[in-house]
Amino acid sequence: MNVIHAPGISHHAPGPARWAAVIAAPLGGGGFHNGGEILLALLVLGGLGFGVTRLRRGRHAAQHDDTWIQPEPPPAPPSPSSPSEPPGGTTISPARTPRAADSSERPPGGWAVETRGLTKRFGATVAVDGVELRVPRGSTFGYLGPNGAGKTTLIRTLLGLTRADGGTMSLLGFPVPAERKRALAGVGAIVDEPRFHPHLTGRDNLRLLAAARGSDTSRRIDPSLARVGLTQRADDKVASYSMGMRQRLGVASCLLGDPELLILDEPMNGLDPAGMHEMRTMITSLAGEGRTVVLSSHLLDEVERTCDAVAIVDHGRVIRQGPIDELIRGAGAVVVQVDCAEPARAARLIDQAGIVAGTALADTGLTVTLPAGASRELVADINRRLVGAGISVYGLREIQTSLEDWFLSVTSRLGEPS
Amino acid sequence: MTTTDPSLSDGRPEAPEPGRRAAPAIGAWLPTWDLITTKNLEIRKRRGLMITMVVLIVVPTVLILGFRLLFHAVDPHTYSPAGSPGIFSGLSNLMAEFGFIAAAALGAAAGTTDLTDGMFRHLVITGRSRLALYLARIPAGLAVTVPLVALAFAMNCLVTSYESPPPPTSVSFYGVTVPEHLDQAGLRTWLLQHPQQAANGLPVGPAPNPAQVRSAIDKNIASLYSNYITDEISGSNPPDNEMAKIGLWLELEAGIGFLVGLGFGSLTGQRTTTTIVLIALEIIVTPLLERVQLPYFIDGQRLIVGVAMDQLRPAGLASGNSGGGPGQALFGGHGALGIPPMPTWAMISVIVGWIVGWSGIGAWRMMTRDA
Repeated sequence: MNVIHAPGISHHAPGPARWAAVIAAPLGGGGFHNGGEILLALLVLGGLGFGVTRLRRGRHAAQHDDTWIQPEPPPAPPSPSSPSEPPGGTTISPARTPRAADSSERPPGGWAVETRGLTKRFGATVAVDGVELRVPRGSTFGYLGPNGAGKTTLIRTLLGLTRADGGTMSLLGFPVPAERKRALAGVGAIVDEPRFHPHLTGRDNLRLLAAARGSDTSRRIDPSLARVGLTQRADDKVASYSMGMRQRLGVASCLLGDPELLILDEPMNGLDPAGMHEMRTMITSLAGEGRTVVLSSHLLDEVERTCDAVAIVDHGRVIRQGPIDELIRGAGAVVVQVDCAEPARAARLIDQAGIVAGTALADTGLTVTLPAGASRELVADINRRLVGAGISVYGLREIQTSLEDWFLSVTSRLGEPS
Repeated sequence: MTTTDPSLSDGRPEAPEPGRRAAPAIGAWLPTWDLITTKNLEIRKRRGLMITMVVLIVVPTVLILGFRLLFHAVDPHTYSPAGSPGIFSGLSNLMAEFGFIAAAALGAAAGTTDLTDGMFRHLVITGRSRLALYLARIPAGLAVTVPLVALAFAMNCLVTSYESPPPPTSVSFYGVTVPEHLDQAGLRTWLLQHPQQAANGLPVGPAPNPAQVRSAIDKNIASLYSNYITDEISGSNPPDNEMAKIGLWLELEAGIGFLVGLGFGSLTGQRTTTTIVLIALEIIVTPLLERVQLPYFIDGQRLIVGVAMDQLRPAGLASGNSGGGPGQALFGGHGALGIPPMPTWAMISVIVGWIVGWSGIGAWRMMTRDA
């Protein structure tokens, strides 16, 4: 649930506004601190047909746009309000025309991962079925899917751990497998559970991997161990490590190559809540350094907290991909909770105005369902009507569809008995 | 936990433009020194495996020679000196059998543990050539087997050289005392000069006349000389050059065991299966094929590496009743026990074929295996 009040940029701001503001940051010469700048950004966005992007430490600005969004949103109900931008207002959901993922348009930084028609079969089973995946450089990308959906197989195929049966792929701009070695020089990855030689210490395991990477990699062993908080236990045998410590050692092994692209397959598996929190913080920190992070997981909450974009895979196929906020918003109408006095009268008043899709009474007021694509000005209009009718309004809050709700709505697991 | 360490990120190059990243050298198929030494470290730190290696290769020599030294020191009249040609030969042959088995177990471990421990996937993701990863295991493993065999054999040589009874001045040959160090012509001359004594040891029947003895000597001189050499060797310590040949042969035996174990282990991915199969090959299949001549399958028998290696077995270790295979020319070997000797080129081809063949199979599997 996001509070719709200040239109400034924050991590909790609505996705389109945040992303649009970030892409326009270079135009504004700095951060955004008022609604006018946001508006300017949106105008630029709409005029140029540009998508959203995210600035990371000033180095990876404008690295992806909305041309890679691949949603198949349900048809939006007709809006009673004008979809055009009212003066001084901002949109809850800017008018966007999602395009297919196989668009030829590329983000300025290029794709960190790009696949076209990637297919992997195991006998008669198609584990990866014509996957079209685009991961913009600098993004934190969630690769979501139910167990058995083909997430790990896709990652193994990308990394050359198994051979693809069809399609093309590239990592960091290098075609794989033709230039796999060059591509992997900039990639760190954990696939499945991180396992190491149990009879060796954590440091010795990293020495082995550093030797495989190259001679100058060994100097990164100690910093990598420090980075994941394993310095004190570095000289203990891995056999004595907990699951969380092995996960951290796995991340340390990824960092040996100072990777531009990190691929983490289910990094939260087996971690307790504290370990999950640490891992989440670490991933966020790594992403903050400008690295592209691909996070494969079936933990929707973790992906929602950590990533700014996702691809949903089911039965080996990518069925949606794009920024999380965009995808969720594209899934249906926005619901606003109105905390007010006299909720019954307020509901009647709003219904009679005919400006919303529906209302429902709640414990502390009522919920109002706005049509998909409705303007944020509509919320202000509701506020004005209620206040004008003498009804005290204590708050207006958007109830955002969770990633879990949306995920279940688009994957086949929804129809399966729980 | 997430303290940013500047050394990780500072100086990190900007994201490279596609296609402009510098080509890393990690694709080279030759393993680097670092890769070899760290793989050797991984092998050496397997405590159970290392104990097994030491127990099989070094401990028998230490125990047998140690007890003999101790007993002789305590009671020199009852117990003969610790070293002797027989002890040397017996320990060396034991070392050959156990060395092969121990090295095969080591090779099987080296070929499978990256897979079973889950490290293979990490190593492949580094981008390092899979062939380099495989080749690094060879020197890493040989760096374990070679010193252990050398240590045990060196102890055997030292005790044999310095704790043996005085060398005999004659050879007991068919019950006849013959001077040492005769060549074939010298032996013939000595036998002709001592027909009565020669007649006692030659298969010439009762009361032969001198002409019959001379005829028997001339007719059998080749095999007589071969047996004389065998008796001479078995009765005295091998000379230094013979010891060196035996040492090299033992190292070759262990090296073959390791390389076959490595290749077979990489193929199967299963350490236990590989080890059991190679032990069976060494202690069941090879001895059977050495001793039993299968009609129409003699060439098939010769394809077993153990058979070829036994033909190459140095004279100082051979039982010496088959009379000179091509191994005699190389290491002084006397040939395998039950089958006719094979040509030198065939023997070498079989040995090289096993080494190259299993290494190739292991490398191929490593390069094509799903990680």
